[in-house]
Amino acid sequence: MLLSRVLLRPQLALCLLALSPAVLFAEAPLHQRIDQAIAAAIPDFAHQSASPATDAEFLRRIYLDLTGSIPSAAEVRAFLQNPSPDKRVTLIDRLLASPEHARHLATVLDVLLMERRPDKYVPHQAWLEYLRSSVAANKPWDQLVREILSSDGADAKTRPAAKFYLERQAEPNLLTRDISRLFLGTNLQCCQCHDHPRIEDYKQAHYYGLFAFLNRSSLVVDKKLNMAVLSEKADGEVTFQSVFDPAKVTKSTGPRLPEGPPLKEQAVEKGKEYVVAPVAGSRSVPRFSRRALLGPTLASAENESFKRNIANRLWALMMGRGLVHPLDLDHSANPPSHPELLKLLADDIAARKFDMRGFLRELALSQTYQRSSEQSSPGKEPEPTSYTVALLKPLTPEQLAWSLMQATGLIDAERQALGKNATEAALYARLSPNVTPFVKAFGNPPGQAQEFDARLEQALFLANGAAVRGWLTPRPSNLIDRLGKISNTDALAEELYLSVLTRVPSAEERKEVTDFLTVRSKDRTAALQDMAWALLASAEFRFNH
Amino acid sequence: MWCTYACGSSEHTISRRGFLAGAVGGALSSLTLDPFTRPAFTHELNKQQKRVLMIWLHGGVSQLETWDPKPGTKTGGPFQAIPTSVPGIHICELLPCTANIMHHLALVRGLNTAEDDHSKGAYIMHTGRRQEPAMKWPHLGSVCAKLLGSTDNPLPGYIHITPRGNGGVNSEDAAFLGPRFASVSLSDGHAPANLDRPAALTEVADQQRHEFRVHANQRFLRSRRTAQTEAYTNSYDQAAQLMRKRDLFDINKEPPCVVDRYGRHDFGRHCLMARRLLEGGATFVKVMHTNYDTHHENFDFHIEQLGEFDRPFATLIDDLHDRGLLSSTLVLVVSEFGRTPNINRNYGRDHWSRAWSIALAGCGIKGGSVSGKTNAEGTAVADRQVNGGHLFHTYLSALGFNSKKNFYIEQRPIPIADPKAAPIKEVLA
Repeated sequence: MLLSRVLLRPQLALCLLALSPAVLFAEAPLHQRIDQAIAAAIPDFAHQSASPATDAEFLRRIYLDLTGSIPSAAEVRAFLQNPSPDKRVTLIDRLLASPEHARHLATVLDVLLMERRPDKYVPHQAWLEYLRSSVAANKPWDQLVREILSSDGADAKTRPAAKFYLERQAEPNLLTRDISRLFLGTNLQCCQCHDHPRIEDYKQAHYYGLFAFLNRSSLVVDKKLNMAVLSEKADGEVTFQSVFDPAKVTKSTGPRLPEGPPLKEQAVEKGKEYVVAPVAGSRSVPRFSRRALLGPTLASAENESFKRNIANRLWALMMGRGLVHPLDLDHSANPPSHPELLKLLADDIAARKFDMRGFLRELALSQTYQRSSEQSSPGKEPEPTSYTVALLKPLTPEQLAWSLMQATGLIDAERQALGKNATEAALYARLSPNVTPFVKAFGNPPGQAQEFDARLEQALFLANGAAVRGWLTPRPSNLIDRLGKISNTDALAEELYLSVLTRVPSAEERKEVTDFLTVRSKDRTAALQDMAWALLASAEFRFNH
Repeated sequence: MWCTYACGSSEHTISRRGFLAGAVGGALSSLTLDPFTRPAFTHELNKQQKRVLMIWLHGGVSQLETWDPKPGTKTGGPFQAIPTSVPGIHICELLPCTANIMHHLALVRGLNTAEDDHSKGAYIMHTGRRQEPAMKWPHLGSVCAKLLGSTDNPLPGYIHITPRGNGGVNSEDAAFLGPRFASVSLSDGHAPANLDRPAALTEVADQQRHEFRVHANQRFLRSRRTAQTEAYTNSYDQAAQLMRKRDLFDINKEPPCVVDRYGRHDFGRHCLMARRLLEGGATFVKVMHTNYDTHHENFDFHIEQLGEFDRPFATLIDDLHDRGLLSSTLVLVVSEFGRTPNINRNYGRDHWSRAWSIALAGCGIKGGSVSGKTNAEGTAVADRQVNGGHLFHTYLSALGFNSKKNFYIEQRPIPIADPKAAPIKEVLA
C-alpha cells in the first residue's frame, strides 16, 4: 500500500506580506507575526526558504518536540491518510493536551533546572512528579518559578520545589550564577570577582544584588525534621571589591535585580528578628526574609530579562536555536538574530500570563516551525540564524531512548501486555528505567547544560550494547516480530520505514531492503534485526529534522 | 619483548581489510595512516607525540616511607634510607627497584597543599586548584587529552585503570572542556564497555549492517549535512577503529614472562596494561594503586603496598626507557596528600598535606634532581615550598606548553593553570 503525500497550502507568510502592517499587528495571531518577522529579515526570503515540511517530516518533528518520542507506525499511517486540511492544528492541540506532553516538558524542565545533579535531598521522582503535575495543569511559568524560589523544603507539600536550592547546597554563589543563567538568560559568573571583562552590560554589582537575596540562607540538617532544609539569618550585609581595582574600594548592595531598583526591606523591631531563632542543629526563620523577596521580584512580567529568557528558551526548544544564542548570554553586544521578534515573543508570553502551552502552540503553528529541514535548491548552506531551513536538533538522551523503544515496538509490546491498564503513567513506570543507561551514555555532566556531543563510546553503546540489541529480539507485536510475519518485501520495507523513520520508503530504499533480504535469505530474522539497527543508528534517526 | 601486535601476526591486517571492504565513505581514508598496523611508523610517531602516565597512590602514601625518609628521628619510623642510582639521593628501603632508576626520577620534597580531606586533596592534585563553589576545573588528564590528543585517535584521551568499581565515562572530570575529554575508567583493567561485537552477530553481518547504515546516511545527508551529523557518523568510524584495537586492552597478548616481570597482582597487570596503551597511542593513562590510607599499622601496610608498587613501577619505567618512549612520556607518582610525621597510638600515620613529596620522571623532567626540603623531622617545609598549582604548571611546562596560557571558553579566557603559581624550574630538563 502506497501512501500519497498530502499537498500543502502555499505559505501563508507570503500572502500576509501583501497586507498592511497596521492590520497585521493589530489582528494577526502570534504564529503569523513570527512568520512575518522571520520573512522580513531577509530580502529574498521567498527564494531562500525551504519548502514546507511534508506531513511525515512534520509528524515526526511535532511528536518529538511535544511528546519526546517518535510516533508509532499506526499513528504515522493514520496521519498520512487523514485528508483533513486542519489535521496539523488538530494534532498539535491533541499532543499539547496529552499526558505524554506533560511528562516530556517536565523532563525538559528538570534537565534545564537541575542539569542532572545527583539526587541527594529530594528524590528525583517527587521532583519530576511536581513538574509533571504542574505542566499538566498548565501552571504558568512565573508561578512555577516563584514556587521553586520560595520553598525552603520544610513543608512536605512544597518540598519537591526546594530541590533547586537544596541540591545546590544553598550555596549562594552557585545559586546566583544559576539563577542568572537559567531564569534571566545572563551568565553573571565572571562578575563574582569583577565587572565582566568583555561584556559591558554585566556588572559585579548585578551579581551581588542577586547574591544579596541568598547570602543569609544556608543548608542545615534540621534535627527535628530530620532532613536538610533551608535556614535563613536576619542579618548579613553584602560587600564586594573588584579584584581589578587597585584601590580596593569596598562597595555594598542590598537585594536587587540587575538593572532593577533597590528593594525596600521591612524594618523589624530589635530583639524580634526571628520567628524561629538560630539554634545549632535546627533551621532559623527570620521575621523578614530576603530570600522570600526573590521569587516575586524576579518571576514577574515587569522583569524584562525574565520574559525574554523563557520566550527565548521555548523558541530554542522548538526551533533548534535561540534568537539570543548562547541562551545565557543575553546582552547588548550579543543582540538577538531578530530583536523585534524576541521582544514580541517576550511581551506575548507575559501577556498570556506565562501560559507555556499556549505559547508553544503558536510556535508550532508557525510556518517557521513547519518548514522542511531540506534545502530546496543546492547551494550555500543557509545561516542558522535565518530560519530559512528547519534546523536539525539532536535528540536528547530521553528522546533517543523513548524513540528507540517506540521504533523497536517495545512500547507496543508493553502496551499489549498491560492491556486495559496501559495508561501513560503505567507505561512510564514500566519503561522509564530503560532511559537511565541512555542518560549515562548521552547526558550532560552534572551541573552543565545539555550539549550535543558524538563520542565513540556512544556509538559502541548503540552498536554492541545490550539495550538496543535486546529490543531487536522478536517478542509478540514488537517490530522484528511484525516484520517477520510480512512475506511481501515491499510491504515489509514500508512497515520498517514507517516504524523507524516515520515515513514511507523511496523506490531506491525498497529495492535496498529487497536486496538485503535476498543476500541474507538464510538468516532472515538476523537480517531484519540488522536492517532495523542500521536505520536506528542512522543520522536520520539520531536527529529531529 | 615487543607487543604481539608488532610481532608479525597478520590478524590485525586481516580485520582491517575486512572492515574496509564493508565500509564506504571518505571519512575512512584516514585509516590508511593508522599507525597501529605499521610498527615502524608507530615508533617514529611515538617519538614526536607526548603522553602522560599518572600513578595514583590512593589514600595518601607516606612521604617518610617513600621519597623523604627521616631514619633515626622521632618521626622516622623503623625503616632505613638506601642509596640510589643518583649519588646523594636516598629514599626509603621499601623501594629498592625504584632506587635503581632514580636517575630517571625527580623528587619534589617541599609540597604543601594545605588540604587534609581526601576528596578535596584529590581535587587539588588532579586539577592544580582548590575547589570553588561555582567553578569546576578539569583534570590534568582532560587537559592533556585536549592539548596532546589527536582527533583521529580512537583511544579515549584520558584512560583511568582502577582496581575495581564501575567502568565508564566520568564526564565531570573534564569540566568545561566537555565530555569528549572526560576520563574513561577501565575497572580492573577491563576493556571499555561494548567493545566486543555481540556474539550472535557475525563479522560479515556487522559489515553489512554498517553498509546499510552508511547508505541511509548518504541519502539523508545529501541536503542536510552539519558539523553535528558529521560528528555522529564519524563516531561509528572511530568506534570501529577502537574495536580493532581491542587487543591493547588484553595483557594476555603479552608473553607470560613479561606478565611475570610486572607481577600478576592487580597493580602489576595494570602497569603492564598502561604500557600497552601508551605504546598503542594512548595520550594519558592513570593507574590507581589503592590502600594507602594507613591510620592503623602504617608500617606493615607500607611494606605490603610498596612491596607491590616497587617492582612493576620500576619495570614500567625501564620498559618505557628501553622503547625510547620515556623521553616523550611524562610520569607522575602522586596521592591526595602525604602522612603525618607523628606516629599515632595505632602505629598509624594520619592525613598530612603540609610537608610531603611526589616523584616525576620522563618527558621534560631532569632525572636525578630534587626540589625542596623538609626539616629534620619532616614536620615543615624548610626550603622551596610549592603547592598543587606549581605542580600543574610543572607538568604543562615539562610537556612543552606555556603554562601561563589560557583556554578560551565562549571567548572567555580561562587560565590553564593557577596564575598565582609557576613551574618548578629545578626539576625541568
